[in-house]
Amino acid sequence: MSSDEMSKIQELFDNLKSDKYPLEEYRSVGKRGVRRIDGYEKATGYAKYTMDVQLPGMLYARFLTCPYPHAEIKSLDTSQAEALPGVRAVLRYDDPELPAGADLGGHETSDVPALPRVAHFQGEEVGAFVAADNEEIAEEALKLIEVEWEERPFVLDPEEAMQPGAPLVNPEAFPNGNISNQDIVNVEEHGDVEKGFAEADKIVEFKFRQGYNTWIGPERPCGVFRWNGDYPEVWVKQQRPHICKRAIASWFGGIPMNKIQIHCLYQGASFGGWSQMPWNMGGHYCAAVIAKRTGRPVKWMFNRREDFYGGEMDTGVYYFKAGAKLDGTITAVKGRAVVVNQGMPVFGFVKHFAENTRIPNIYGKTEAVWVNKGPTTATRCEQNSNCYCLNKVFSHVADALGLDPVEVALKNDGAEGHDMTWLNKQKTKLGFQVRDSLKECVEKGKAAIGWDEKWHSPGTKRLPNGRLHGLGFVWTHEWDDSGGTSEIAIRIERNDGTATILGCRSDIGVNGETAYCQVAADELGMRIEDVHYKAQIDATFFTMTPDTSTNMSVNGFAVRNAARLLKRQILEAATTSSTTQLGSAPPAFPDKKPEDLDIKDSVIYEKADPSNRRTLAELVKIAGAQGPISAPLGEPFRIGQPYLNYTYTQPLFAHSWQVQMGTYADVRLRFCRQAHFMEVEVDEETGEVEVKKVVTVNDVGRVINWEGCEGQQYGGAYMGIGRGRSEEVVHDPATGVMLNGNLLNYKIPTMLDIGSIDTALVETGMGYGPYGLVGIGEDIATVTPTLIGPAVHNAIGKWVEDFPITPDRILKALGRA
Amino acid sequence: MSALKPDKKVPISEDEINFSVNGDSYKVRVQSNWTLQYVLHDKLGLTGSKEFCNEGACGACAVIIDGRPVLSCMILAIECDGQAIETVEGIANARHPLIEAYVKHSCMQCGYCTPGFIVTAKALLDKNPSPAEEEIKEALVGNLCRCGTYPQHIKAVLEAANNLRRGQRV
Repeated sequence: MSSDEMSKIQELFDNLKSDKYPLEEYRSVGKRGVRRIDGYEKATGYAKYTMDVQLPGMLYARFLTCPYPHAEIKSLDTSQAEALPGVRAVLRYDDPELPAGADLGGHETSDVPALPRVAHFQGEEVGAFVAADNEEIAEEALKLIEVEWEERPFVLDPEEAMQPGAPLVNPEAFPNGNISNQDIVNVEEHGDVEKGFAEADKIVEFKFRQGYNTWIGPERPCGVFRWNGDYPEVWVKQQRPHICKRAIASWFGGIPMNKIQIHCLYQGASFGGWSQMPWNMGGHYCAAVIAKRTGRPVKWMFNRREDFYGGEMDTGVYYFKAGAKLDGTITAVKGRAVVVNQGMPVFGFVKHFAENTRIPNIYGKTEAVWVNKGPTTATRCEQNSNCYCLNKVFSHVADALGLDPVEVALKNDGAEGHDMTWLNKQKTKLGFQVRDSLKECVEKGKAAIGWDEKWHSPGTKRLPNGRLHGLGFVWTHEWDDSGGTSEIAIRIERNDGTATILGCRSDIGVNGETAYCQVAADELGMRIEDVHYKAQIDATFFTMTPDTSTNMSVNGFAVRNAARLLKRQILEAATTSSTTQLGSAPPAFPDKKPEDLDIKDSVIYEKADPSNRRTLAELVKIAGAQGPISAPLGEPFRIGQPYLNYTYTQPLFAHSWQVQMGTYADVRLRFCRQAHFMEVEVDEETGEVEVKKVVTVNDVGRVINWEGCEGQQYGGAYMGIGRGRSEEVVHDPATGVMLNGNLLNYKIPTMLDIGSIDTALVETGMGYGPYGLVGIGEDIATVTPTLIGPAVHNAIGKWVEDFPITPDRILKALGRA
Repeated sequence: MSALKPDKKVPISEDEINFSVNGDSYKVRVQSNWTLQYVLHDKLGLTGSKEFCNEGACGACAVIIDGRPVLSCMILAIECDGQAIETVEGIANARHPLIEAYVKHSCMQCGYCTPGFIVTAKALLDKNPSPAEEEIKEALVGNLCRCGTYPQHIKAVLEAANNLRRGQRV
C-alpha cells in the first residue's frame, strides 16, 4: 500500500469529528424497503443456530450445579453416573487434565477454573460435567452423582454483605471481606458538590433499589467442540467469536490461532449477557477435554434455568442527593451506589450527568460488593445504571419544584458542566451542523403522546374508568462508544460483477449485515441487490461484533473505507490496459482517466458522455472466464497480437479496517439525544399498571436501515418496559435458592403488554459514525426501563423508588399493602 | 443429597409411530418420553421448531395439528401416531405469503422465535382469513419474542391476509 493510500485511509477513519465524506446522493442508505439479508432464512426456519448443530457421533454434555448458595464439595462419587448406559464420560473437578485456571473468555483474558470445587451461588456449575448419547441420559446421570456438600454461610443483600462480620461470599478470591478490594471502588468527581448544594433553592434526597433482572437468551447457552486431528473446530453461541479463539489458543499448551476454526452461526440472542462473562468458555474447555478423550464431538448446554443465573450489572442500591434552583437549573448531584457481582470492570453511574448536562458539580462513588448470587454483566448495555440515575434525579427535581420534567431536561441539557451555547460552539468546531437534538426529539415525542394536552400534576387525574392517569418522560444522549477493531474486505465477483463483502458473523439480529450492504452499494455506485455480505464461517476477519456496541460506528466505517478503495480500483482497472502472456488487452474506457468515470446502478459510465458505458459485469467478464483458453470459440490465438474488444482486469479486491478506542467520557462530546414518553393507567385497588402508549424518539444522526432502527426502537421499548415493570429474579432469603428461573414465573413482555408504540427518528447528522450516524441498538432498552417510574408517579402522586415497579410496590406506596 | 436422586428406574418403552409431516409420511421408532419437538428437531432435522422455554410458555416450537397451533414441546411424539403435522418448513415450501410479509416487515431480529410466530399466524389465517388487529394480537400473545419485534408482526399478518385473499402465492 502506498503512503498516499495509507494517509487516505487514516483520514477516512478519523472519527473524532464530523464525517468528511458524505455522499452526494443516497440511493440505498436511509431508504425504506431494503430487503433484510437474513429475513428469508429466519422466517422459514432454515437459519441454523448452534443448538441445531448435530454431528456424527456427537455427545451431549451438561454440568452438575450446586443446590446451595455457597458450598464446597467434600467428596464426589461419580461411579453410578459412569455406569449408566449411554454415559460416555464424566469429567470431575479433580481430573488431572484440568488446570487450576484457564482463560475462559470475558472482555479481558481471565484465569479461572473450568470446573470449580466450590460454588458461590445456587445453580453454579461445579464438580462434574457429564457427556452422554443424549441430553436426557446426561441429565439422569447428573442425578446419580453422590456429592458430599459442605454448606457455608451466605449473604444475598448487598448492604448486609458490606457489614463487618458478614459471611464471606467468596473467601477463596476475597478472603478479607466482600468489598475489601480497592480496585472495585470507583469514584468520579467534577466541580464541588457542597458548593452546588449551597447554591440550590431545593434539595432532594432519595434511595432506590434495582432488582436483579436478566437477559433471557432464547437459545440456551451452548457450544460444540470437535477435534480434527490436533486442531479444534468449535461452534460458539457468542457475541465475540474472536475472544473464543483467543481463549482456545491459550489452552492445552497453546494452539496457533490459524489452526483453530470457529463457527459462529446465527444466535438466539443474549443481549451481552453470558458473552461478557470471564467464564463463558468453561463449557468449551470441558467439552474439549471430553472430545479429545472420546474422539467424538461434544455439544455442551445449559438448561433453561441455568440461563437465569446471571444478571444485569445495574443491580444494587443507590443513594442520591441533588440540589436545584427554582427555575429547574440543577446545581449539584451526589450519589453513592452499591452494585453487585460485576463481571466487568466497575462502571461509574454518574457519567451521564457529566456527558449530558450543564450540571457543574457531580460526585459519584460506586462500591462493588459480592453476594451469593450469580454474576452480573452488561445486559443490553452497562449504562443502565446511568440512565436510571439521570432520570431518577431529573424526575425528582421536576416534581419537587412543580415543573414540567421536559422543561427541566431542556434547561439542563449541555455537556461537561457547560450549557448549550458552549456545546453548540463545539459542534461547529468539529464540523457538525448546529442542531438542538433534545429539543427536536422532545417536540416529536410530545406531539405523538399529546404531552401538552395530557400533562397534569402528579396524582390529579382520575379517568372515567376509575383508574389514575399518568405520563412519564425520560431522556439521555445516544452512545456507541466502546472500542473495537474491524476488518472488512470487498471483492468484485468475476463473471457477473456483483460485490461480496467478507467479514465475520456475530449476528444477534440488529440487521447490521444488510446495513453494510447499503453502505457498500451507495459508495460503489451499485444496486443494493448486487451487494451481499458473506459471513465467513470461521472467525478469521476480525470484524467487530454488535456485542461491543460498535456495529455501524466501527464496522460501518470499515465497510465504507473498503468500498471507497475498491471503487478507485474499479475505475483504474476500467481505464488501464492489461497484459497477458499472449499480449496486452486495451482498457475498457480507452484514453480516459479514472476521474472521468463514475458508477451508478452497477454501470460504469463516462461523466461527460453517459452513453459511453459498461456494466461492471462486462468489465470483469472476460477475465472471469477461465483465461484465454476459453475465450469465445474461433478466436485465433496469436502471440503478440492484441485482442480485439476484450478487457482484462486484475482481481478487484479491497481490504480495509477501522480502529476505535473506547471513548466513554472526556474524548468525544455527545451531541445526539433521545427522549421517551409513556402513558399509563394505574388501578389503585390492584396496583396494576396498564401501559397504554409508549413513544420512543431517537436522534440516530443518520438512518442507514429504517426497519432496523425501528425494530430496535420497538424491541428496546418492550425489553425496557419488561425490566421496569415485571422482571426480577427472586431468591429465597432463607435458602438462597433462585425461585423463578423459568419463563412462566419470570415475566417478559408479551404482545399485549404495551398498548401501542410510536417510533420517531431524528437525523441531525451529529453522530461520529459514517455519514453522521450514531448507533441506537443497545440504548433504548437501557433507557426505557426507568420510564415507568415517573409515569406511575405522575399517576398516583407517590414515588415508587425500587425497580421493577410491581403491583405490590405500588400498593405499598399507596399505603394499601 | 437424597432429594436429588431419581425415582425408581422405570424402563422406557419404545414404539413405532406413523405420521405425516408437511405431507410426507414417516415411520419413526420413538421412546415414550420423547417430545414431538425433539423428534422433529433432532430426529427429522426440521430445525424450525425451536426449543426456547421448554415448558409450553413461549410458542417457539409451535406446529399445526388438526388446524390448531400446538406446542410441540408439550406433546409426546408417541401421541402423534396417525396425525398430520405441519411445520414452518412446510409453510415455507408452500410459499405462503406470510413468509414474504415477515421478511418485508422485518419481523425478525435474532430470529430464534420467528418460525413459531409464523406457524401460529398461519393457523390463525387458516381459520380466519380476515383477522382484525386485536384478533392477531390475541392469537400471537402466547408467542414470546425477547427482541421485542411484536408490532412488526401485526403489520405482516395483516398484509399476508390481504395477499392471501387475493390468491397470491409469493
